[in-house]
Amino acid sequence: MTREEVYDKLNEVFQDVFDDEDITVNDSTVAADVDGWDSLEHINLIVAVERCFGIKFTMGETTGLKNVGEMVDKILAHLA
Amino acid sequence: MSLVSAIFLVFVAAVLLLYYVVPKSARIGVVILASLAFAGFLGFYTLLFVLISAILCYIGGLLSGPNKSNGARNAATIITVVINIALLCAVKYYNVLGFAADRLDMLFGAVDGANSFFKFAVPVGMSFYVLQTTGYILDCRWEKITPEKNFFKVLLFSSYFPQLMSGPMNSYANLSSQFEKAKAVKFTVGRICEGAVRVAWGFFKKLVIAERAAMPVNQIFGDHVNFTGWYVPIGVFFFAIQLYSDFSGCMDVVIGVSHMFGIELPENFNCPFFAKTVREYWRRWHITLGGWLRDYLMYPVLKSAPLIKIGDWAKAKFGKKNGKKVPTYIALFILWFAVGYWHGGLWNYVIGSGILHFFYIVLGMIFEPVSKKIRPKIGADKLYFRIFQSVRTFVLMLTGFVFFRSATVMDAVDMYAAIFRRGVALNWANFSSSGMNLANLIVLAVAVLIVFAVDAYKYRPSEDDEPRSAIAFLRSKSVVLLWAAFMVLVVATLIFGMYGLGYDSGSFIYARI
Repeated sequence: MTREEVYDKLNEVFQDVFDDEDITVNDSTVAADVDGWDSLEHINLIVAVERCFGIKFTMGETTGLKNVGEMVDKILAHLA
Repeated sequence: MSLVSAIFLVFVAAVLLLYYVVPKSARIGVVILASLAFAGFLGFYTLLFVLISAILCYIGGLLSGPNKSNGARNAATIITVVINIALLCAVKYYNVLGFAADRLDMLFGAVDGANSFFKFAVPVGMSFYVLQTTGYILDCRWEKITPEKNFFKVLLFSSYFPQLMSGPMNSYANLSSQFEKAKAVKFTVGRICEGAVRVAWGFFKKLVIAERAAMPVNQIFGDHVNFTGWYVPIGVFFFAIQLYSDFSGCMDVVIGVSHMFGIELPENFNCPFFAKTVREYWRRWHITLGGWLRDYLMYPVLKSAPLIKIGDWAKAKFGKKNGKKVPTYIALFILWFAVGYWHGGLWNYVIGSGILHFFYIVLGMIFEPVSKKIRPKIGADKLYFRIFQSVRTFVLMLTGFVFFRSATVMDAVDMYAAIFRRGVALNWANFSSSGMNLANLIVLAVAVLIVFAVDAYKYRPSEDDEPRSAIAFLRSKSVVLLWAAFMVLVVATLIFGMYGLGYDSGSFIYARI
């Protein structure tokens, strides 16, 4: 899967979790940029991403992601 | 050894001198020895438990690290974490066990409990370093860090003396990188001065404000047969002042001392009484405890298979939007129960620092959609509404402080009942009988206004933004200004502080947790 393909699916996950069809994310997107992405919603997002890509983040990855770019790196690493 | 004592300052000065005199490669050795000596000063059992915790942390980390089977790693993590937490519960919370406590006392030869083994064995600061070392083991298991092979580095992490008694809690990744940086730190007058101002600020808060505010608090909470009606909210209000200046003052001393060594510790407070909501308040008060419980308790619980299953079931039953909140509420309940229990293992803490806040936060979440609709109609962007939000949050905190300060739940309930009872008249003579005379009240009011002004300067509307630093501001102007601030704080504390011969300065409230 290419980075672009990951982003296509990831945008759908974000739109679904945060109930906003206008959300598009990129490498530098952080929690503060997305309305509703707080510490509680974070796990809902992580679980939704895991299900979408059929992967499992470690707890270290779950709590250590700095931005969406890092999340995509991890997704690609798990898919490889 | 209290952090607010002349002996502690002498100890810090001696360690600092040695730290900057020895070759840079030997600095960490100095800090390790100082930390062990400090733990020894606090008592034999404190030193013993610090060492046990460090050994457990070291072994747990190594066995939980990569290059082994997942089963073996899980077993190592679970066993060492359970032993670590069980030690804390056994030692700190044995009173809660009741029956078992009596048996243990008898086992160690104390029938009446007055000479209880465990009473003397309670190590200082255990609630803090046990969580920190548990975090280390879990970080190794979750591969956030590589297990440390050098035992002395782990020992320093779990015993670093400025934060040993009351935190702030830290992750190994943060603290070890600070220890690495410390090897290259140069001695500068500016650095010592910055640290000294922060320490003096902590002494000022503790001795001028907290110890003074304690006078009416002790009287009103100690006698709610006579001190009833308006005395109750007045007592709780003064307790809020006492608790904040006590705990944040303690953190000022800890962070200031550590800064002098070139080791930066995380902030634990960020203008909590300016918070708009209860949730925001807890992101500004005891920040490192909240962060620890979020990362090591709430996230794993929320991400566990049973909670995900419950979430799926709830979404099917109540719809996507409402259903996904069900596992969140369950995880929040576990989190807040843990927060309350951690504060002392007694029901007044479980309620006052835990479950009550769970209800406030969940109610806030439930009414959020309604509140979003109402806000534009009532001019929520106006200053008066902003002030209302902070006052409302502060009042909600006071309701929890009643439980936190009371000896038992029944005592707290009686405190609430006392609001509606008749007692001594509300007048100056009765109020000032606690020792809070006009001069004391004026000193307290001025000191609180100074703290309020500094917090107002530091305050940023988003708790994610780093607060402004008053010390950095003074430093940017000139070191002379910084020294002047230090002198003013020292003189003010010497003149107005509650200390001296025959005066028993109470220990920090959070050092007793």
